[in-house]
Amino acid sequence: MSLADVQIMLAASALIAQVTGEIDMSNAEEVGATVIGATPNEADGVILDLSRVDYLDSAGIYVIYGMRASLQARGQVLILVIPPTSPVLDSLRLAGVERPGEVAEAVDEALRMLESRPLQGS
Amino acid sequence: MPAEPGTDRALERRSSYRLTDPGLSELPLEELLAELLVRVQEALEVDTVAILLHDAESKQLVARAAKGIEEEVEQGVRIPVGRGFAGRIAAERVPIFIADVDHADVLNPILREKGIASLLGVPLIVEGELIGVLHVGSLTPRMFGQDDLAVLQMAAARAAPAIEHARLYAELEHEHGVSMVLQRSLLPKRLAEVVGVSVAARYLPAREEVGGDWYDVIELPRGRVGVVIGDVVGHGIGAAALMGRLRTALHSYAIEGHGPGRTLELVDRFVQSLGESAMATAAYAVFDTYTSSLQYATAGHLPPVVISESGTRVLEVTPAPPLGAFPYGRCPEHELSLQSGEMLFLYTDGLVERRGVPLNDGIEALATAVHGARTPEGACAFAVRRLVPPEGLRDDVAIVALRNTPVPAELHVTLPAEPKTLAHVRRMLRRWLNERGAEEGEVAEMTIAVSEACANAIEHAYAPAPATFELHGWARDGEITMTVRDGGRWRAPRGQNRGRGLSIIVAAMDDVQIDRTAEGTELVMRRRIAPK
Repeated sequence: MSLADVQIMLAASALIAQVTGEIDMSNAEEVGATVIGATPNEADGVILDLSRVDYLDSAGIYVIYGMRASLQARGQVLILVIPPTSPVLDSLRLAGVERPGEVAEAVDEALRMLESRPLQGS
Repeated sequence: MPAEPGTDRALERRSSYRLTDPGLSELPLEELLAELLVRVQEALEVDTVAILLHDAESKQLVARAAKGIEEEVEQGVRIPVGRGFAGRIAAERVPIFIADVDHADVLNPILREKGIASLLGVPLIVEGELIGVLHVGSLTPRMFGQDDLAVLQMAAARAAPAIEHARLYAELEHEHGVSMVLQRSLLPKRLAEVVGVSVAARYLPAREEVGGDWYDVIELPRGRVGVVIGDVVGHGIGAAALMGRLRTALHSYAIEGHGPGRTLELVDRFVQSLGESAMATAAYAVFDTYTSSLQYATAGHLPPVVISESGTRVLEVTPAPPLGAFPYGRCPEHELSLQSGEMLFLYTDGLVERRGVPLNDGIEALATAVHGARTPEGACAFAVRRLVPPEGLRDDVAIVALRNTPVPAELHVTLPAEPKTLAHVRRMLRRWLNERGAEEGEVAEMTIAVSEACANAIEHAYAPAPATFELHGWARDGEITMTVRDGGRWRAPRGQNRGRGLSIIVAAMDDVQIDRTAEGTELVMRRRIAPK
């Protein structure tokens, strides 16, 4: 059994990546690279849906930071989906990262956040 | 050749050359044909002998064995029934004699190329069915007489049933062989290894035929493991092939995360959708290694059995129709706790069904047979040794056993320093912490801390030589102590990432100490757990 699966969906203006399973140092970089690699340039951002993630370790948190940085460099935004009961919140709390950037409780909320964002400069 | 009274001469030849030796019918097809060729050649003093068998589907005669004209077989000569020398013998079912091949309707060029001058052939007939043609040839012109024909017909009359018997047997053997290989290749090559359980399984083919029994062990997310037993109704290649499809279907639905009842229902819908009159029975159980909870459901299948030290009990099942039997069949789920050390035992009916013995007695006999088994391997061995009759089985049997491995009071393990060890550590740890009485939130936080500590040890490991690290854990007076020891020298956490790892450990535990020695680094973590 592989530790995690990544399902990529394309919405009108965003890429939605739903991760199912566990993210740790054995697969964190692969998961991050898969999502970044699948993100088209014209997308406004990426919605990383962690609602089906049972475990996230510090390597995973580090990769999320890396994803945010590389998306920002392309003028794109990263929104995490973390429901209030997610075990991911335990890891973030213990790591002292209460809000790792923009967080939504569900994918549709994340899509609304993306739509209501002010347009990037220029 | 001097003329002789046909029948006497023929009988003499028959007895002297043992053309009708009853032992012939015991030979496998290839040897039988080879032996026949030799005996006919000697009996009739001819240069060539050939046996062509009738392929009913293509309406052709296929050269199957030959002496003196081996090319016929090597080149796979096929003669349409009704055409040429052999074809006419087959179509008209009469002997044909050709005195001069050069001026006759002979289709097969090999006969001419070989320089055969004269031919005599007879049909091979069994119970009114044409099965082939037997013909002999002479390189010098020869007038085959009545006595020759009598000998050849006698040989044909005795050989035909033997050939047919051997041919049918060879076909059966072939099908049996193919289905055995198919069956084997459709069963799991190795059983999944899951933390917290040990498993064993057996597949025993029936004496005569392969069947459609199967077992499966499926690793599921969140520390769960699925165990499957199933039995496709019917035998032979068809049943084995359908078994392969059902095993795959069930496996796929199971890893999608459906519970045992819903998984069986989905397989039922799958069987319905095949539009074949296919049917199967199955039992599927999901064991949660963190909580020791066992959920199970059956579809027309015999009840699972739980083996414990105190005795063996047959589990309650809600009767549900077999897979593919009725539209929208429902498979209700049952739940129980499979205690530490207890074993779940699933089996197919071939193990307990005996002619003239009530099924309940058979299940009772199984419960008695596996009593006292301590391991899944032992349970399988007991069942096979005590229940499989010496003459073999009439029906095939699949069995699979899963044991909830007792959780040790203290953890002392040495693990490979590789990233993929971490998931294994977390599964082991959640089970162990649960057993020590930690509540859900405590289990979650301590698991994160220890997994981070192990990740640190793995990063320290000297590459590329294989390295290990040690994990120890014990509980005293309401306090859990976990230590992670590696052989590498302590390195200050590098970058944002590793700093975060250490801060997680510190945040999750009450007390954290780092001991650095010449041998390596040891991280000692303590946390009090709330009394229950």
